[in-house]
Amino acid sequence: MRVYGLIDGNSFYCSCQRAFEPRLKHRPVVVLSNNDGCAIARTREAKALGVKMGDAWHIARKRPESQSIVWYSSNYALYADMSRRMYQVLAERLPAVEPYSIDEMFLDLSDLPGDLHERCRQIRQDVADHAKIPTCIGWGPTKTIAKLANGLAKDHVELDGLCDLTDPAVRKDWYCRTSIDEVWGIGRQTKQKLLGAGIKTIADFVALDAKTVRQMLTVVGARVQAELRGQSCLPLSDIAATRKSIASTRTFGRLLLKWEEIREAIAHYANRAAEKLREDGLEAAHLSVLMQTNPHNGDPWYAKHAAVTIEPTSDARDLIRHATALGRAIWLPGYRYFKAGVVLSDLRPAGSQGLMFAFRDPVQSATVMAAMDAVNARFGSGTLRPGSTGLKRTWSPRQSLLSARYTTRLEEIVRARSW
Amino acid sequence: MNYQGDRTTGFASPAGDNIEGTIDLMSAALDLRQPSRYPVRVEGDALLGRSIRHGDILVVDSAVAPRAGVVVVASVGDELRVCELTQRAGEWWLRSSSPQASSIQVDDDTDVAIWAVATGLVRTDV
Repeated sequence: MRVYGLIDGNSFYCSCQRAFEPRLKHRPVVVLSNNDGCAIARTREAKALGVKMGDAWHIARKRPESQSIVWYSSNYALYADMSRRMYQVLAERLPAVEPYSIDEMFLDLSDLPGDLHERCRQIRQDVADHAKIPTCIGWGPTKTIAKLANGLAKDHVELDGLCDLTDPAVRKDWYCRTSIDEVWGIGRQTKQKLLGAGIKTIADFVALDAKTVRQMLTVVGARVQAELRGQSCLPLSDIAATRKSIASTRTFGRLLLKWEEIREAIAHYANRAAEKLREDGLEAAHLSVLMQTNPHNGDPWYAKHAAVTIEPTSDARDLIRHATALGRAIWLPGYRYFKAGVVLSDLRPAGSQGLMFAFRDPVQSATVMAAMDAVNARFGSGTLRPGSTGLKRTWSPRQSLLSARYTTRLEEIVRARSW
Repeated sequence: MNYQGDRTTGFASPAGDNIEGTIDLMSAALDLRQPSRYPVRVEGDALLGRSIRHGDILVVDSAVAPRAGVVVVASVGDELRVCELTQRAGEWWLRSSSPQASSIQVDDDTDVAIWAVATGLVRTDV
């Protein structure tokens, strides 16, 4: 029998921090978004103190009940490595694993010998022991049901982190007492539409005539319904296929007025995007640049983007040249800029097109970039980079509460006292 | 450039079928790519008796089953410690290198837990 599972890390970013700091074991922990803006991950203890998803740090931290909270800047180098560990533990035990997001993975649990519940309990234990991440697992005959089961496992403590929805009778029972907005793929608008038609629970939705659903919610809604009925429409995918575009967009650590500073930031984003291109062996033939003021601080609103078709390249120097030229054209004096970014699209495999009038010698370009990538792989990202990306980078996002990169930098590994 | 003792130009190398490559210490002994392996920097000389020095990098593995006599990294309350593990009457204990200090029982209720078992050591200042 086909069985899909979904495993997800409990408060994943917070759990990554806890893995290396025993003092956090019972304390409320919150991880903040890029630039230390707002809460993006909270432990159960932090949720109990009233910290909401998206709460602004500078406000939330001043509340008296926030005294005991330990706050962290997001440490994506650490989270990516912990996600890699989680994936590897799973991949060693199961025929197929699909990393759906940094903290969620779909599992192929079909036709496994032995008791499935016991198997999932053991997998959950192994992930907790080896990768040090507490998780919940839900499973059923389709991905949509597995995702629902995972949510139930998380919300209902008595399930002990495991929820089996393979049995239609068990499903029916949960469907009757679970709201339709708990379903993967049912957004706020769809929910409103369904509520308007008197559809509140999943059972109500599943009971609808398939044709009615298709008329009301198009094929997407019809697929959700079929999946909830146990007909699998979404197979397991491999690791994400080739990207369609690469974006490098950030909020500045402070508002920027001067073109020279914004130019540096744009050069930095273009350089990062170029690195990602080369990691995937791609070249970009289209580049766009955007910049904007802060929509929330009362400043006059200015947001502009510009795009250009370019000779396919992954050379950081070409991309920086194009990006800064475009940026200069849309920058206007007098505004305090809040955010900028570079987006590369029309991606294609490197060297797929011979160029008759190439701006650079392609062989020489590849050699220079490979040398730069090798230096950075060995000595850390950003060690060797084009000078236009700046030296001091006073516009860098704030990361005042960053923990060590325990597993990816030798200078920052965990310390333990011998006793 | 890539001569391994095999592709000679004159006489065919009798070793051609026996080329094994240099030892990759990283994958043979340390292998931090294993999802259960973590590097830990040792602070203090309390375990000199086990030849573990201040500044050493211990490679520890959270998938290895604990055995009596191994060196472990354990969480004791708020801190991580490197120490020896012993077993008494079916219970696990952390043994201090100091004869004055008494052992601590591994017990979730008192926040004493084994974090990982030491499997290797790297010393860069010899």
